[in-house]
Amino acid sequence: MRSSSATAAPAAKTGRAAETGRAAATASAAYLRLRGVQKSFGETPVLQAIDADIDRGEFVTLLGPSGCGKSTLLRTIAGLSSLDAGDIAVAGETITHLPPQRRDIGMVFQHYALFPNMSVADNVGFGLRMRRVNQAERRERIDQALTLVDLQAHARRFPHQLSGGQRQRVALARALITRPRILLMDEPLSALDAKIRQHLREQLRSIQQTLSLTTLFVTHDQEEAMMLSDRIFLMGEGRILQHGDAESLYTRPASEAVASFVGAYNTFDAEQATRLLGHDTQGRRFAVRPEALYLVADEPSSSLPPNPGPGCPGRIVARQLLGSIVRYRVDCDGLSMNVDTLNRGARFLMATKTPVVVYADVDEVRVMS
Amino acid sequence: MWRSRPPLALAWLLPFALIFGGFQLAPLGYVALGAFRVDDGWGLDHFREIATSPFYRQAIGRSLEIALVSSAAGLIVATLACYGLTRAGGRIRRVLIAFTNMTSNFAGVPLAFAFIILLGANGTLTLALERLGLVDTFNLYSRGGLMIIYTWFQVPLGILLLLPAFAGLRREWREAASLLGAGRLDYWRHIGLPVLWPSLMGTLTILLANAIGTYATVFALVGNNYNLLTIRIANLVSGDLFLQPQLASALSLVTVALLTLMTLTQQRLTRGRSTCG
Repeated sequence: MRSSSATAAPAAKTGRAAETGRAAATASAAYLRLRGVQKSFGETPVLQAIDADIDRGEFVTLLGPSGCGKSTLLRTIAGLSSLDAGDIAVAGETITHLPPQRRDIGMVFQHYALFPNMSVADNVGFGLRMRRVNQAERRERIDQALTLVDLQAHARRFPHQLSGGQRQRVALARALITRPRILLMDEPLSALDAKIRQHLREQLRSIQQTLSLTTLFVTHDQEEAMMLSDRIFLMGEGRILQHGDAESLYTRPASEAVASFVGAYNTFDAEQATRLLGHDTQGRRFAVRPEALYLVADEPSSSLPPNPGPGCPGRIVARQLLGSIVRYRVDCDGLSMNVDTLNRGARFLMATKTPVVVYADVDEVRVMS
Repeated sequence: MWRSRPPLALAWLLPFALIFGGFQLAPLGYVALGAFRVDDGWGLDHFREIATSPFYRQAIGRSLEIALVSSAAGLIVATLACYGLTRAGGRIRRVLIAFTNMTSNFAGVPLAFAFIILLGANGTLTLALERLGLVDTFNLYSRGGLMIIYTWFQVPLGILLLLPAFAGLRREWREAASLLGAGRLDYWRHIGLPVLWPSLMGTLTILLANAIGTYATVFALVGNNYNLLTIRIANLVSGDLFLQPQLASALSLVTVALLTLMTLTQQRLTRGRSTCG
């Protein structure tokens, strides 16, 4: 079992500490630097003293539930919302009070925001037109940008003649064509269906890596964040609750708020944890991922963790098929928890009311701050 | 079940169809036929008379002039007002929209009366302006006076017609444009106005039709003293000593032709500009 300080130790070895409540402060090296960023709407604080450092070429995701301030943070970086306090700097230059036109930042919006009166080519070339780039160069760069997003054949079409995925690719090309210092993306995939979203995610990541573009991506989809990001900033109530790479954030949540958002963590108090593990534990609140629990119907079993303890006998009360995963709701004499197992096929599925024993991998039980 | 629905649904249109047929199509047909009716059969005599008479040509010219000027002025004021309304707070917007709704229905004799007591020869505002030395004389019963009253009733109609189009302008377009380097003027020049263009032209056409067809307000204000198409038509069917309903029909048909021409011009100007998404 690890405490919150224990969770930080192995992470530090990998160079990506899972600091809580504040961001890493390697100020001099950071490409995008946020310091004490604050914003309120009336009496309601939306951003509360946010510090963050983002490296050049890094893909960072702002992850969090609706209303946690992630989109507002993005908008303040873009200059679309003013700050109440704090500073924003890009490559050492303070941009806090610059208008959006002079920030050299590209942005992709959730609902594309394509200009409906312009063709795809005119939409993509709009930024160059505003920068008075001559027509020949403009044409060439529009062609390059459309090739990048695989839409050369659609240059003359209008936005309403395109699918959602195509529209978002046009929006991406439009944001990239001016070669911005930073690309901001505000839930760009959430209006698309699952298959297109998957395809676009891969394309997006590939383009970002090809251009080595510093990118800030907002989403409330945990899977999306984990798939795309170099680092994830998990936000809640206007603060950065924890940040780190996908692995550290997922396996070492530092607080119950983080645990409740990433993965379907089971949370226990000390007495419940003792019952599950079979021995006393230090700490008040504990969390364990549903896939770190082992469900055994007929002992002895070979698929147990190294230190399984005595196990906690109970009964399956519900079963949920989540595609490749089967989620069982197990009741161990009043102690209720979710256990995820691989969906190996119909004959391996356990029926409700089946008596089982739940074992926990002690190393995967986290102590919450 | 669904197969039996359409005929039933269509049945609900029957009252509308009856009213539309009886009070729109039938009179139009009657007017169209009457326009070509002469004493000894059929002919273009009435149209010839209209084309050669300076009096009727003046009526057409003045109707077009007052319609074009008041519609253009009304459209400009309505456009600016809509822009202001979209930026105004929710409460102010609700009050102003309610006011606009009310004023758009305030037309005809009551409107003329309101203008007479405000801007007539002894109107409150006229006297006040004269006393303050801001105007020497103001004649409501002149071309200028008519332009003002026409523009007044065009503005609220213009606002009501344009407001949905303004509401359709998405904030994200302005934001995306600003991040791409566009200033406020660039945005309006390249995105805002082009997107609004079909609605602006459609509204202009309706305002023109509204102005050309206006009768009650102008008659209550100037009677027969100002030569307009609608005044002429009314005189020919009810006011003159010698009634000439066929000539009135021909003048009505000229009015219909003018409105059709305006509508076709508007459609041509906005062709391919209507977009969605």
